[in-house]
Amino acid sequence: MMDIAATGITARFGSTTVLRGVDFSARSGEMVGLIGPNGSGKTTLLRILANVRAPEEGEVRYAGKTARAFGARELARRVAYLAQGGEVHWPLRVETLVALGRLPHREAFGGSEAADRAAIARALVAADIVQFRDRTMGQVSGGERMRILLARALAVEGDLLLADEPTAALDPLHQLQAMQLLRATLREGRGVIVVLHDLALAMRFCDRLVLLAEGGVLVEGTPAQVLTDAHIRRAYGVEVVRGERDGVPFLLPWTPRGI
Amino acid sequence: MTPRRAVGTRGASAFGYAGLIALLVVLVIAFFVASLAVGYAPLALPQAFRDAVSGQGTLAALVLTELRVPRALLGALVGFSLGIAGAAMQGLLRNPLAEPGITGVSGAAALGAVIVFYFGLAGTVPFALPLGGIAGAIVATFLLYGLAGHGAGTMTLILAGVAINSFAGALTSLALNLSPNPFAVAEIVFWLLGSLADRSLSTVWLVLPLMLAGWTLLILTGPALDSLTLGEDTAKSLGFNLGRLRLMLIAGTALSVGSAVAVAGAVAFVGLVVPHLLRPLVAHRPGRLLFVSGLGGAALTLAADTLVRWLPIRPELKLGVVTAIIGAPFLFNLIYRLRSTA
Amino acid sequence: MPIDQQSTAKWATVVIALAVAPAAAQTLPADKPARIVSLNMCTDDLLLRLADPARIASVTWLSRAQRGSNVADIAARLPVNHGLAEEIIPLDPDLVIAGTFSTRTAVGLLKRTRIPLVEFGIPRSIEEIRGHIRAMARLVGESEQGERIIGQMDERLAAMPSGTGARPRAIVLNPNGATVGRGTLVDEIMTRAGLDNVAATLGIDSYGLLTLETIVSNAIDVLIVSSARDEPPALATEILKHPVIERLSDRVRIVSMPARLWNCGTPAVAEAVELLRREADAFKRGRATQ
Repeated sequence: MMDIAATGITARFGSTTVLRGVDFSARSGEMVGLIGPNGSGKTTLLRILANVRAPEEGEVRYAGKTARAFGARELARRVAYLAQGGEVHWPLRVETLVALGRLPHREAFGGSEAADRAAIARALVAADIVQFRDRTMGQVSGGERMRILLARALAVEGDLLLADEPTAALDPLHQLQAMQLLRATLREGRGVIVVLHDLALAMRFCDRLVLLAEGGVLVEGTPAQVLTDAHIRRAYGVEVVRGERDGVPFLLPWTPRGI
Repeated sequence: MTPRRAVGTRGASAFGYAGLIALLVVLVIAFFVASLAVGYAPLALPQAFRDAVSGQGTLAALVLTELRVPRALLGALVGFSLGIAGAAMQGLLRNPLAEPGITGVSGAAALGAVIVFYFGLAGTVPFALPLGGIAGAIVATFLLYGLAGHGAGTMTLILAGVAINSFAGALTSLALNLSPNPFAVAEIVFWLLGSLADRSLSTVWLVLPLMLAGWTLLILTGPALDSLTLGEDTAKSLGFNLGRLRLMLIAGTALSVGSAVAVAGAVAFVGLVVPHLLRPLVAHRPGRLLFVSGLGGAALTLAADTLVRWLPIRPELKLGVVTAIIGAPFLFNLIYRLRSTA
Repeated sequence: MPIDQQSTAKWATVVIALAVAPAAAQTLPADKPARIVSLNMCTDDLLLRLADPARIASVTWLSRAQRGSNVADIAARLPVNHGLAEEIIPLDPDLVIAGTFSTRTAVGLLKRTRIPLVEFGIPRSIEEIRGHIRAMARLVGESEQGERIIGQMDERLAAMPSGTGARPRAIVLNPNGATVGRGTLVDEIMTRAGLDNVAATLGIDSYGLLTLETIVSNAIDVLIVSSARDEPPALATEILKHPVIERLSDRVRIVSMPARLWNCGTPAVAEAVELLRREADAFKRGRATQ
């Protein structure tokens, strides 16, 4: 169980300020979606939360402690990060790549091998890629690749999973599978923070949403509270159409605003 | 050409990592013995060995212990350094073309060593000569990382290497011209191509501790290099300090390559060919590639140095000639494959 | 006497260089040239022994080096050149002496002027040295001085009786592993000193390359190492300092030979023979007491 709390986060790129005094929190057991238009700082905020980038101002606390107090290695065991884009530089075997998620757990003299093997096996099963374990990364399709990278993040078995646009460039089937997979990890007491550009997925799968725009948090709350026509119009500049299926509401961006 | 090629086509799963290491160790030992057996004077190896061990200073024992053993030892040490440094650079820069020769690290190390040697500084402090090579290598790796690190493409990397090599080569030539000994000018061939001729045991002791330190630093970067497969952000999120990784890599490369070049000149292509050949055998894992590339580099260098003396060409060919003849086709092949994927 | 005929023949060979040059441009030297220029360290040496410094316009800069030159003191007081035609022509010399291996472009240029130019090759024997001295003495109009110098050299050489008994096996080690074989001046010097030149036995004619392995495994008695090993460092001279030579010193006599004594064909070769004779005798004494 872990919670994460960021206060007063300011991030700059050169002379451009992307985030200004942003506060954010999340805890185990919930899936929080970070949404907003391009350039709203979603990826930057996620990178700061993952301790991959330092904020210009503000601080992040993990279970009440700063990253420095935690230590990089310990924090790496508790917080898993799935980067945008899915770059893989060498055609490793699938199982080897998933095993990279166990690197934060390695002992000096290799004492935790059994625990590692078990975690890797669980991750392979959860991501439904057991049948690929001996293939190389050059022999898998785009959707399989995303599941493999997700399995790598799951193998960390951290308390928090931070995923940056895990559904980008995936076909509809694999988009849904990825989101369902993320929800499944909540059952084990984990927390998920996911950056999404797809409003439909955000509405359907997230417990809470944080809408970033104009350098700050425009609104946060449940999907119903956040994804009102007014908020969407202001943040994205589009009109949506809404519907319902089996009691579950959904929405679709329909036309640019004012048309 | 060598047994390694046949092994590559059978695939890694047949051997496993431990099996690969065992095979490479056997290869290194075999080429070490071959290096001892080949030379300019007829030598009955078993008799010379017995004489040397029993302390009898016969001429055969002298040739073995003072001339052949140092040459073979140095061949193994230099080859190991070049192989492991090549694998490390490729892991950090995530580019299969990175190696000490192409990137200019060897050329800069040669410059540092030339300045120390020809201007009489080699005796001033202990290890002055390899330290000169190390200093040159450090400057080049910093320059290289500044120019072509942070995920810059292949073209930037190669151009940076060309620039560093040109500059270092020109300054080396200048230093040799300015040196007080008239023989120096013609010796640029040694520094650019490399040779293990006429080495002594004192040379081995001169570089061994520095090389060991360098190899240790490089091997310790293994897990971090593995994590870099997924990019810098993911590596950071797995708990690795990238700044510290870069420093360890710069220091480790400089210590190994700097020492090697200071005593043997810039032997080209070992750091390119060996990791390239062995990468499929370790399933492309950059961490595992380090140690096996060291062993492969030692084997290749010993084999090339044996060939240099076995061929009836006198004066002896420079070592770099043989490694270049072997290595250039690999470079062509690599470039061709990069072209078709680009 | 045969020696006179031989030396005349050698002098004739030298002058052929003059005769073969483009006749239209070449002029003959005056009887007693007053502005002589030498472009070669070896010809510097002979010239400075033969002619009055007042008649010498320039010698090479190398002759001033204390270690490498037999005539450094005299050369220090004379103007020096670096073998460049543009240094020489303004001196308006009436005789230029060059070596057949030096500054080819300068020599080529000078041959096209009207300046008298004579080239001297490298002598391959002591008899050839006598021929060169006589030829140069005649060129600068100091034939008597030339005969005096030859006489002094011959006296020193005759003072050493021919050695008896076994000749110690010797080999020369020069920078880059170069050695000297049959049919060379160095070979004759070694023979006169009572040494057996192993390089000749190994089939090397004139100059060749040796490896340390060959030297070590050929059971030599005397190793003559070029004095170049005391100079500023270069890879070429590193072989002269290899630890295996030190390891050999308990069974091999290591001799350091100053290159200036036998690199050129000058009367200094007598000193080289004396030095090697002393070493050979010392070796035989040492061997006898074992």
